[in-house]
Amino acid sequence: MPRLVSKYFGELDYSTEAAFQFPEGIPAFEDQTAFVFLDQPQTHPLVFMQSLGNPGVCFIAVPVFVADPAYRPNLSPEDLALLGLSPEPLPQIGSDILCLTLVTVSEQADPTVNLASPIVLNLRNRKGVQVIQPSAGYSIRHPLLAREDLVPCS
Amino acid sequence: MLVIRRRAGEGFLIGPDIEIEVLEVSPTRVKIGILAPGALPIVRKEVLPTRQENLAASRNAPPDAIDWLSRKLSQCGPG
Repeated sequence: MPRLVSKYFGELDYSTEAAFQFPEGIPAFEDQTAFVFLDQPQTHPLVFMQSLGNPGVCFIAVPVFVADPAYRPNLSPEDLALLGLSPEPLPQIGSDILCLTLVTVSEQADPTVNLASPIVLNLRNRKGVQVIQPSAGYSIRHPLLAREDLVPCS
Repeated sequence: MLVIRRRAGEGFLIGPDIEIEVLEVSPTRVKIGILAPGALPIVRKEVLPTRQENLAASRNAPPDAIDWLSRKLSQCGPG
């Protein structure tokens, strides 16, 4: 198993199944073109999007459905082409693609997720992009734990 | 804002080094060609907020935030 140096968990073995190529990086990190998605039992349902090129670059993500159970990504023809997907039949979340959203956490504010720009992974060719969909009606700073304030959980 | 009308095949210059050409016009989009020095960053305008949010999301998570988040989400989320 290959090994990586991670930002939050030190040295780790990882499965090549969890590594994805981002041909264009993501905005502000255009030079980071390979990320490993670390999904560890003790931090479930968080997924750590760790750059293979720079141990200091790691994003905290969650599957989009954790933030919004009714979420629908809006993939443009350009996004589909970058991912190597065809528009018909529509790719299915779970079997063809995975859809994650990046979490912003800080001392000053409640955690938010960027539902306007989801990370979409093609499970078949292991390519990923950050989809920019400003007109889809999703917030770039969607409160992550808002539902909990309304509905107390056990 | 300066407004100029151009047809497909026409262009304009910004300073001595930047050339913009309208390549193709359709009812809903225009295709634009840009000639500029390589060091000059050119980004789509709608990408800017994502760029800023990615920089914010890449900062170190506060101590305990990871444990707290995963505990709260696994209690309440569908996952």
